[in-house]
Amino acid sequence: MTPSIEVEDLVVRYGAATAVDKVSFAIAPGELVTLLGPSGCGKTTSLRAIAGLENPSSGTIRLNGETVWSGSPKRNIPAEKRGVSMVFQSYAIWPHMTVFENVAYGLRVRKASASDVRDNVARVLDMVQMGQYADRPSSNLSGGQQQRVAVARAIAFSPNVVLFDEPLSNLDARLRAEMRVELRELQRRLDITSLYVTHDQEEALAISDRVIVMNGGRIEQIGSPEDIYNRPVSRFAADFVGSANMIEGHVKTVNPDGTMVFETKSGSLIHTLSGKRDATLLALRSSYVQLRPGEINAVNGTIHRRMFHGDFIQYVIDWPDGQLIVRRPPTELLDEGSAITVSFSPEYCVLL
Amino acid sequence: MSWFNLRAWIVPILLLVCGALVLYPIAFLLTASFNVGDPQLFPPEEWGAGNYLRLFEEPRVIGNTLLVASIATVLAVLFGFIQAWILTRTQIPGRERLETLMELPYYMTPLIGALAWGVLLGPKTGLGNQLWRSMGFTSDFFNIYSPQGIAWVMALFEGTVAFVMISAAMKSMDPSLEESSRVLGAGKLRTALRITLPMVAPGVLSATIFVFAEMLGSFAAAFVLGIPGRFYVVTTAIWESALSWPPAYGHAAAMGLSLFGAMLVTLGLARVIMRHGSYATITGKAFRPRPMDVGLARYPLMGIAWGYILVAVILPLAALTLTSFQQFATVIVSQMKFTLANYETAFAMGSIGPAFANSMTLGVTVATLGVPVMAILAWIIYRSTMPGRVLMEYVVMIPAAVPRLVFGLGLLWAWINIPIPIYGTLWLLGIAYFTVFLPLGLRTIAGVVLQIDKSLEECARVCGASWTYQMRTVTLPLLKPGLIAAWLLIFIASVRELGVSVFLMGPHSKVIAPSIVNSWLSASSELSAAMALLQTVMVFIAVAIMFRVARKVTGASA
Repeated sequence: MTPSIEVEDLVVRYGAATAVDKVSFAIAPGELVTLLGPSGCGKTTSLRAIAGLENPSSGTIRLNGETVWSGSPKRNIPAEKRGVSMVFQSYAIWPHMTVFENVAYGLRVRKASASDVRDNVARVLDMVQMGQYADRPSSNLSGGQQQRVAVARAIAFSPNVVLFDEPLSNLDARLRAEMRVELRELQRRLDITSLYVTHDQEEALAISDRVIVMNGGRIEQIGSPEDIYNRPVSRFAADFVGSANMIEGHVKTVNPDGTMVFETKSGSLIHTLSGKRDATLLALRSSYVQLRPGEINAVNGTIHRRMFHGDFIQYVIDWPDGQLIVRRPPTELLDEGSAITVSFSPEYCVLL
Repeated sequence: MSWFNLRAWIVPILLLVCGALVLYPIAFLLTASFNVGDPQLFPPEEWGAGNYLRLFEEPRVIGNTLLVASIATVLAVLFGFIQAWILTRTQIPGRERLETLMELPYYMTPLIGALAWGVLLGPKTGLGNQLWRSMGFTSDFFNIYSPQGIAWVMALFEGTVAFVMISAAMKSMDPSLEESSRVLGAGKLRTALRITLPMVAPGVLSATIFVFAEMLGSFAAAFVLGIPGRFYVVTTAIWESALSWPPAYGHAAAMGLSLFGAMLVTLGLARVIMRHGSYATITGKAFRPRPMDVGLARYPLMGIAWGYILVAVILPLAALTLTSFQQFATVIVSQMKFTLANYETAFAMGSIGPAFANSMTLGVTVATLGVPVMAILAWIIYRSTMPGRVLMEYVVMIPAAVPRLVFGLGLLWAWINIPIPIYGTLWLLGIAYFTVFLPLGLRTIAGVVLQIDKSLEECARVCGASWTYQMRTVTLPLLKPGLIAAWLLIFIASVRELGVSVFLMGPHSKVIAPSIVNSWLSASSELSAAMALLQTVMVFIAVAIMFRVARKVTGASA
């Protein structure tokens, strides 16, 4: 099947600085893929290059098999001819138009008949629960309402690719969580291929079929949310997504069955499943550490600090290799200062 | 891709045309200033720095200029500081209204102010001096035809400019900076001295330098009030040299360019202070500082604030009105003879009636044809990524840095020597107005262009709109308030233009401002007052429309 979006060796330079450095990925029809990374990692620039709003330096961009940009041979389809749609971070709701006119814009550009325009606008406004606001001037909508109008406008002319540029970053936490669910519902229902840019790792994990972790203009890792979380391939991916402990040391022995033993700086031995032979770091998710003795990988320590977060409790534990961050459900309440044994299963120990 | 080609053509064409309009007169000015042979020859046959050296032979003019500019600057900054402090930091009744009214002195223009104060405090015949003598004094209360008089009129006008700059500095100060000082235990006085003053000082200092630079290049007040007493400052000396017979263009050009240089240096200094010394403007955010409760002192403070408006706007306009309706201006009620004859003359006089019509025509035409060009320029410079746009910005902003009168001199000399016979016609005035108002229009429209979030335009493109469709449906509608404001500002500026017009007006292309001055210098003050009032009414009508449009726009988006 032809991918809906295909990016090959994309490079975007601003003068001497390289914002996007040889980025390649492909997105299948109906898939929702997230570009995740800190600000300045090139995720928004990549998105804008696909939309036709940024001029790349080299590489190829294909939409539904058609080359819309390529460095050699030179080819550049302007933004308005690419047939993609986009939801902007600032929403970009035109203040001099009503909600209806905003949403109708893409249809009117495509010279849809008046009745088509009316029907489609009504349909998508209902989808985002903004049906009763059609005739409002758009200049006095709340942030959440503007966001809904922006989404409605982006899907009104039935594009098969929609680009989302941090669409939820201007909303408060509660609304953000709500809209996340609605966006995912909408995307699934309409089967729209989506490329979604965010710096919020929680959002990326929750909403995506696949996540692309970017750093410094390059791709660090591509994988399903579970993959990225459980099997990060680099220190950056492990650090940026979720909360992880980084334990320094080296691989001491490789057993015949492929499992390994990692020796930390303090000399503690940690059993792991397979991994890199020359690893110097072991990443361990804070949520995968138990505060009770286990058969394997059990280390003694003391609880240095306890912080109650509501959905979980975060413990800072003094152990031979410094401090260990552990997250436990709020039911597992232990006192500061108490001596405990922590344990963790080898399958959660990732060698980097 | 056709739009792309169109845009690729527009840039070089606009750059060429606007660049020529701006740079051509300045090139002439430069060559003239080094011409030590026959001043009427172009290109010069003898070159030399003689014109510049001659400047030092008449230190009196330089001394006069510095004297007037210094007195006026001190007064203007004092007015501006007091008004800014009262209106931003104290709780006086009717503060908002006063803040709006503070814009009026700016629209009064120094020319109208000078005429009005000439009517009020001219020696012997001035209304104020008449009143003074009728009370039994044998000398004048004050002679406005003096350096101090010129400085006073200029200070009333520039006081508004100082007010805007200083109150901006006061407003941009985060009130929590003062509050944290108070919370940490410092008293009111200590907070004022250690926190408030250092925060506001750079703003006041740069306002002082800015006003001083403007004063160096100001012309109208020194012209109206200085010429009768043969008191010359640099600008009036330039005018005298260029229009006397035989014309000393070289001398005038050397003075003009030296003045330009002096202003550039002072303004550069102001900018440096603004950038390096000002803590208050770093965020660019406007705060409303918590106004002080001044108790009963609020009534005297309110009186002071209104006093400025009274002296700068109401009194001058009242004096002009009273004068314009009399046969001979007097304040002694028994001797008053009211008449409409001055207005009849103003409209009937062979050369003056057309001056009004010409100014109106020029204002409407320059604004209507100029604004679209300026809008395209603003869009190219502040929105597009086209090469050459930075150079373009520098070039079209040059007229803002050159004193109007000096630019007028350059235009005069340049267009006399061009083989296109438009000298002495309205065409030349139109072209000249367009050139000198380029920075004004560009800045006004740029303010709106920069406010429009780029993604509003990008979104249209992603939605499938072509460049022209996007311009028509998104960019231009959003720019509308800026375009209207620019139109009105250019209209106002055209109607009251003096510095360029005095050089370029011909017998068949008279315009208002220079005509008023001529009538003042040669005919009666009653007639001049009537003409000045008519001009002021035209300007104020345009200002009122502008305020209404501005209110409608801000009201809709709020």
